Amino acid sequence: MENIGVYAARIAPKLDGLAPGHRACIGCGEALAVRIAMKAMGGNIIIANATGCMEVISSQLPATAWDVPWIHTLFENTAAVASGIESALKVLERKGKIPAKGTKVVAMGGDGGTSDIGFQALSGALERRHDFLYLMFDNEAYMNTGIQRSSATPFGASTTTSPAGKKSIGQKTQKKNMPAIAAAHDIPYVATASPSYPFDMMEKVKKGLAVNGPAFISVFSVCPTGWRSAPELSVRLGRLAVQTGIFPLYEVENGKYKLTIEPTPIRPVQDYLKLQGRFRHLSEGNVKEIQARVTSDYEALKRKAAC
Amino acid sequence: MVKITIDGREYEVKEKARVLDIARAHNISIETLCGHESVSPSGNCRLCLVEITTKDGRNRVTPSCIASVEEGLDAKTNSEKVIAERKVSIQKLLARAPKSEAIKEIAKKYGIASTPFPLEDHQNCVLCGLCTRVCQEVVGANAISKVNRSAEPNALPYTVNFDACIACGSCAYICPTGAISLADEGDKRTISWPYQKKDFHMTKCKTCGRFYAPTKQLEYMSKKSGQPMGLFDKCIDDR
Repeated sequence: MENIGVYAARIAPKLDGLAPGHRACIGCGEALAVRIAMKAMGGNIIIANATGCMEVISSQLPATAWDVPWIHTLFENTAAVASGIESALKVLERKGKIPAKGTKVVAMGGDGGTSDIGFQALSGALERRHDFLYLMFDNEAYMNTGIQRSSATPFGASTTTSPAGKKSIGQKTQKKNMPAIAAAHDIPYVATASPSYPFDMMEKVKKGLAVNGPAFISVFSVCPTGWRSAPELSVRLGRLAVQTGIFPLYEVENGKYKLTIEPTPIRPVQDYLKLQGRFRHLSEGNVKEIQARVTSDYEALKRKAAC
Repeated sequence: MVKITIDGREYEVKEKARVLDIARAHNISIETLCGHESVSPSGNCRLCLVEITTKDGRNRVTPSCIASVEEGLDAKTNSEKVIAERKVSIQKLLARAPKSEAIKEIAKKYGIASTPFPLEDHQNCVLCGLCTRVCQEVVGANAISKVNRSAEPNALPYTVNFDACIACGSCAYICPTGAISLADEGDKRTISWPYQKKDFHMTKCKTCGRFYAPTKQLEYMSKKSGQPMGLFDKCIDDR
């Protein structure tokens, strides 16, 4: 599905769930990701949205950009609220108080609201097997509050709380592997997606919504403001992240790994790093270190997909 | 503007609108298979049936995708009559494409396990005509047509003109039953239609060496836009 963009794009759903006029920055990868996800999900959904950029830009009083029922939740309880909605729908349908329309529940959160603050609520909801889809929009730091590091910030990235300087190279730790953690809950569907590959992403969101049980999708969201990159490069950065192997696109269906996009040839990570201000300070040695890590991670993933 | 009623609720809508579009705009879900917003409606699959009562009392069950609105029209999307007729439509589709996952899923939703109609497996094709309409109206290549389609047992469901086909993959993307499939491997793209199959040559990106688009599609784009072929020799990441 990688190379069918030109004409098939014209027959992609025209539905736009996130209305224009919201306050996202120019080149926001997350707004693009939400639009593509909404195309795949259709109108019959209820969204629980964690605090973060997406909530702030789309719901400034008295306006809202959402065309579907939407609840703003706190950082820590998004998955809990989504589980509550799902259970309530189930009970009300069983008692015949509302007609059974097959309404699906979707939870959305950023990387901070998912992998740091909302982590235990998410883990609980996945373990309780609620039938919902969790979308994590991963822009690799707390962008909304001013680019503070999160556990999803990659090694070497400079943020306001992990600044690069004479004695520091920025973020000292490696990025937390959220999809692997979600897959460890033995849930039916886990995937990584990127709005730079819209058809792949729409397919995954549809699959995640259709499965009976929890589904988790980590969506790569380029943030020009926080990554100090040019806004016109957002889509290209998303593609480069996949083609360098930094953010491989794969899915885990009932524990079975499968790479959905296999870029050939793999580009060097420098192609991706050099376009971003947050990696500007890295020395050649640092880049080599990152390259070694990315290569070994990608090989490990390929081995998982092969068996 | 005319006033119509759908499932007991009144709506004021534009003249000449279709019932299905109005229902969709107001979040009333109606099952469809052969409909798509980018192409003209055809009324082929007969899943989107609604029961329509006009102002002068005429009552009929008809596909909502081709039913125009009129003053005083009353449409019911879930009446007993509609469900009964829709079930027959699903049984007919099931007889035509017993192996299609999409059809099986719809059948499951309506509690249908088997079909009383004689089974005739046409490699998942249910003759909905979406591929022909997309090829004509969206792509403009006119490669798939209903020419030679007949009631003969061995007739092809659709004829593909391999010279006109630009291998864009739109038909594979839109096919609701999975009868058309597409696979890229190296410099070759294989598209399989029911009973027909063809390999197409892919163009290699000058910079990164990735095979990124079928050569015939690039030629078609160059012809349509009036730009030289040299403009299309790099993939979108290297342009």
